[in-house]
Amino acid sequence: MGKLAGKKLLLLGERDGVPGPAMESVFQNSGAEVIFSVTECFV
Amino acid sequence: MSSVGIKGYAYCLNHTPELGLHYGNTPYIERMTRGETEFLSELPKHLQAYGEAVSYAPNQAYIGGITLDEYEAQPQPWYENRMADAMRYGKYGEIMPEDEFLGLIDICDVFDLIWLEKGFASLVKEKLVQDPVISETILARLETGHDQEDIDSEIKDHKAMPLYIDGNVVGCVRSGHEVDECLFPYVLLENIASKAGGVLSVLHLLKNSAISPQEIDFVIECSEEGAGDMNQRAGGNFAKAIAEIAGCVNASGCDVRGFCAGPVNAMIAAASQVASGARKNCIVVAGGAIPKLYMNGRDHVKKGLPALEDCLGNFAILLVPDNGEYPVMRLDALGKHSVGTGASPQAVTSALTWEPLQKLGLSFQDVNKYAAELHTPEITLPAGAGDVPLANAKMIAALAVMKKQIEKKDMMAFVKEKGLTGFAHTQGHIPSGVPFVGHACDAIRDGKMKRVMIIGKGSLFLARLTNLSDGASFFIEKSSGTEAVGAISKDEIKNMILEVLSEISESLK
Repeated sequence: MGKLAGKKLLLLGERDGVPGPAMESVFQNSGAEVIFSVTECFV
Repeated sequence: MSSVGIKGYAYCLNHTPELGLHYGNTPYIERMTRGETEFLSELPKHLQAYGEAVSYAPNQAYIGGITLDEYEAQPQPWYENRMADAMRYGKYGEIMPEDEFLGLIDICDVFDLIWLEKGFASLVKEKLVQDPVISETILARLETGHDQEDIDSEIKDHKAMPLYIDGNVVGCVRSGHEVDECLFPYVLLENIASKAGGVLSVLHLLKNSAISPQEIDFVIECSEEGAGDMNQRAGGNFAKAIAEIAGCVNASGCDVRGFCAGPVNAMIAAASQVASGARKNCIVVAGGAIPKLYMNGRDHVKKGLPALEDCLGNFAILLVPDNGEYPVMRLDALGKHSVGTGASPQAVTSALTWEPLQKLGLSFQDVNKYAAELHTPEITLPAGAGDVPLANAKMIAALAVMKKQIEKKDMMAFVKEKGLTGFAHTQGHIPSGVPFVGHACDAIRDGKMKRVMIIGKGSLFLARLTNLSDGASFFIEKSSGTEAVGAISKDEIKNMILEVLSEISESLK
């Protein structure tokens, strides 16, 4: 558990950058709760 | 056969600022939901004239008016450094002005859905007759036109949508059904315009490839549009509809979809059919997307820039059996973003580049250029979407460092050498790798490049069916000549059989 423990996360991903599911994996064991995750395409 | 020849290619743009102003999704939805806002009142002041679109360096790079080396040498920003000697026609295709494109849309309408005003139709006919790819047969499809009052009445009383030139109503798109939303004018306009763009590119492709339309065997279309009715919303089929207008009477066709990964997947589908002998040849084609016009217009207006997203993009590529004459697309080392690949940039880039390289025993340095998502950066950067081709090249360079194929300090040199500056409009499927096929084949024919990789990536999650995205890639290189049709003689086959029999007999001892 790090400094994100107990925090709530909103994850905004981008297809050609870092997508939402990739960020979800990163924060899986952080103790934070992902309350919203999305990937968008701006092109 | 595991490779097919790329015999020809065509790339065209349709400069359509007024279709964008009224029916680009961003202004259209804003007008519907919020009325005449400040953005909508400002947008017309930012539109580019036809001459400006022609003299815009990325557009010239797209139609083959300049080489990519010449493009790299153009001073930036391109919108402030217009090319003085730019022409309508390039090596690969043309930039068609909006009035002529409305005429082409009418030519492609087989259900009397498009009505043009008589005087306008006559004016457009005089212009279209000068286009070298518009034959008399095709031009004969243009209607003589309707009286202005009939068009006005159709708009006022029958839900038709007006078509504009210089702010004046010059025609309309009629409704295809009383209650079926799939056949309402907005959808029909989007679809017929995409079909018309596809037709224009196929006509240029036939000319560029010196092949008659009757010789075409199959057509695969790969735009992002959906043609159908309320019982089957995207039943299709754009490919056959395009082939019909282009005079490809011996061809059939079908559509392949996959958002921006559609064209690369369509290339693979078409190449597989040609390589197997199922088709004698195959055209891969896509027209543009009206909804994506001025998609980032709000940011361009806010930052005082020209509204650059004013062109529909389209392309067509002809695949034939590999006879040693043309650059080839390889089918034995395709990049595939599998369901289980995951979403991390590292995993996706690895699946699309490293894995196919490994199949051929190649290193990252063995590829001259990686073409992924070739959006013009001048369009995407002001909207906060970054320089997309640069971002992709950086990811490939980072992977090359991880695989210990280049030093970290050499990353940016790798990006500069192996990446590309984007030159395609933000038309979804259009920028995804395929705009480089023409330039790459020319460079391979001229001996300037040995091998390139075309990469397409699609945002499947936009359709809310899956959270996944997609990706696919393939190599183009010089034909080795060993795949040529009929290259294996009967004696060689006999020898191969004898070798196998001899191995079997050894194993039985």
